[in-house]
Amino acid sequence: MGKLYVEAKPSVDLNKNTEWFMYPGVWTTYIAILFVSWFLVLSVFGCTPGVAWTVVNLFHFAVTYHFFHWKKGTPFAEDQGIYNALTWWEQMDNGKQLTRNRKFLTAVPVVLYLIASHTTDYQQPMLILNTLAVFVLVVAKFPNMHKVRIFGINAGN
Amino acid sequence: MALAMVNVTASVLDWVSSAFDAPTRAVVFGVPIDGHLVVEALLVVVILFQLTRKSYKPPKKPLTEKEIDELCDDWVPEPLTPQITEDMMYEPPTLESAAGPHAIVNGKEVVNFASANYLGLVGNEKITDSCVGALEKYGVGSCGPRGFYGTIDVHLDCEQKIAKFLGTPDSILYSYGISTIFSVIPAFCKKGDIIVADEGVHWAVQNGLYLSRSTVVYFKHNDMKSLENKLEEVTRRSKQPEKVRRYIVVEAIYQNSGQIAPLDEIVRLKEKYRFRIILDESHSFGVLGNSGRGLADHCGVPIEKIDIITAGMGNALATDGGFCTGSVRVVDHQRLSSSGYVFSASLPPYLASAAIAAVDYLEENPSVLSKLRTNIATLFNELSDVPGLVLASHILSPIVFLKLKKSTGTGKTDIDLLDSIAKQALEEDSVLIATTKRSSLDKCKLPIGLRLFVSASHSESDLLKAAASLKRVAASVIS
Repeated sequence: MGKLYVEAKPSVDLNKNTEWFMYPGVWTTYIAILFVSWFLVLSVFGCTPGVAWTVVNLFHFAVTYHFFHWKKGTPFAEDQGIYNALTWWEQMDNGKQLTRNRKFLTAVPVVLYLIASHTTDYQQPMLILNTLAVFVLVVAKFPNMHKVRIFGINAGN
Repeated sequence: MALAMVNVTASVLDWVSSAFDAPTRAVVFGVPIDGHLVVEALLVVVILFQLTRKSYKPPKKPLTEKEIDELCDDWVPEPLTPQITEDMMYEPPTLESAAGPHAIVNGKEVVNFASANYLGLVGNEKITDSCVGALEKYGVGSCGPRGFYGTIDVHLDCEQKIAKFLGTPDSILYSYGISTIFSVIPAFCKKGDIIVADEGVHWAVQNGLYLSRSTVVYFKHNDMKSLENKLEEVTRRSKQPEKVRRYIVVEAIYQNSGQIAPLDEIVRLKEKYRFRIILDESHSFGVLGNSGRGLADHCGVPIEKIDIITAGMGNALATDGGFCTGSVRVVDHQRLSSSGYVFSASLPPYLASAAIAAVDYLEENPSVLSKLRTNIATLFNELSDVPGLVLASHILSPIVFLKLKKSTGTGKTDIDLLDSIAKQALEEDSVLIATTKRSSLDKCKLPIGLRLFVSASHSESDLLKAAASLKRVAASVIS
């Protein structure tokens, strides 16, 4: 029957907030979620595929920006608040920059943008919204932006 | 206003789209260069660049020579031990006998108003007999936490006894008086919860609030208007008040001031704003109410309305340890989640049997409560005209609290003045009185003062002697 169960090595990431991203299959699941949500949007709203991809792109922007780059700290009280000033993106991989996970997560919004803008034939207003979304996400994921808070936004406790 | 906004956004979008849709100005290898192509090419280049970089940890920049030199110059050495000041040399009076209504200090017999022996159970024969019996049967220690072979039948009996006495479904015992409240609060209140607490709670409660990591809002001491304002503010401010757990933490009789919390008001507010009450009854259990059942009995509030009641048994019941009661779920949750219960050795069995004997005594002799009440009333009357000091406690509180009418300026000089009054009262009139001593960790801002703990076993002459002594000493010291 082949390998029904994947053996996951216990990850050395002690941060319960981010260690779930070390498991095999996370990338595939992420891409699968995006595809399934595109399909759902297409079937529920009955719009063109391009608009559906735009909707998926914008929704993905809103969700990932909020959870990766806005919310700080962890929902686990046992870590005694050592990550209280760090967003999920900054906590990932223990702060190591340009790891495989980070590169994957940087590439995903760009690929989404390319698909969305291509399938909408570069029409306005979808194009400007998509461009804005990908710009913000890509800049937020630069290694130079590690622990940077522009104009003190989101610097509070 | 809205129309103007729509116009502005429309014109901005038009401008941007015209920039994007500008007629193709260049044709490179037959491919018309549109604006979006530039953006995409830029993106792809940036991403490919990032993808090809190696992963690295952000470097920890070591200090430069100049920075090291600057830090060394700024450093001022501190002595290994601080200078021994005169207050550090202070030795409080040591009791050389049991802390009953009459005790022996420095070889002299004194009238003891510094022990919270409200029902006069220190040295009671029934309690001592039950202790001796338990010692012979179980030995001294229980040698284990409750979850690991440290549960003895007297613990279960004591819990049942207290629950039946108070009329609650169940109760849970703790092995150290003040660890009750600072284990119960973190067991229920977690990070993100909201607690509205009285600003006059004692250090153990403050420690519990700190350990819970919840958002704590303090209201003015025993001021129901301030409590209502804080509750209103907190309910208004939180985005989803129904989803957040909200607690009110009060003490029945405040150790730091002798005030009694108006429980009926608090319960009314709790039901209006949907909060839960955590009530610390350490000084009111066995004191207030017609049968000594505490503040709920005294105020006529049904005991089910109070969610969590804790008490230390070191005061009226003259044993040690503490208990917490409430509904079955409240008590059950603590058996696995309360740090003081799970991770500390259980109450020594002789103390648990002493607690059972004390509650039995209280049930059989309710007259001791009326004796205590007359004693409090007598002392309160006598102390109403002490020169320089004013009564700050509630008329029914067994902790009679006297504070300075006029503060001498700094907290330090106030403490010195009160200490000298207590010292003189002890040396000249053999009356042992305590000043409120606050630790450096205590954040309570209430004024300090002299505290007299009234006991049911104080005789009338003891009370009159103490009152006369205080009046005399205060008149001479505060001039």
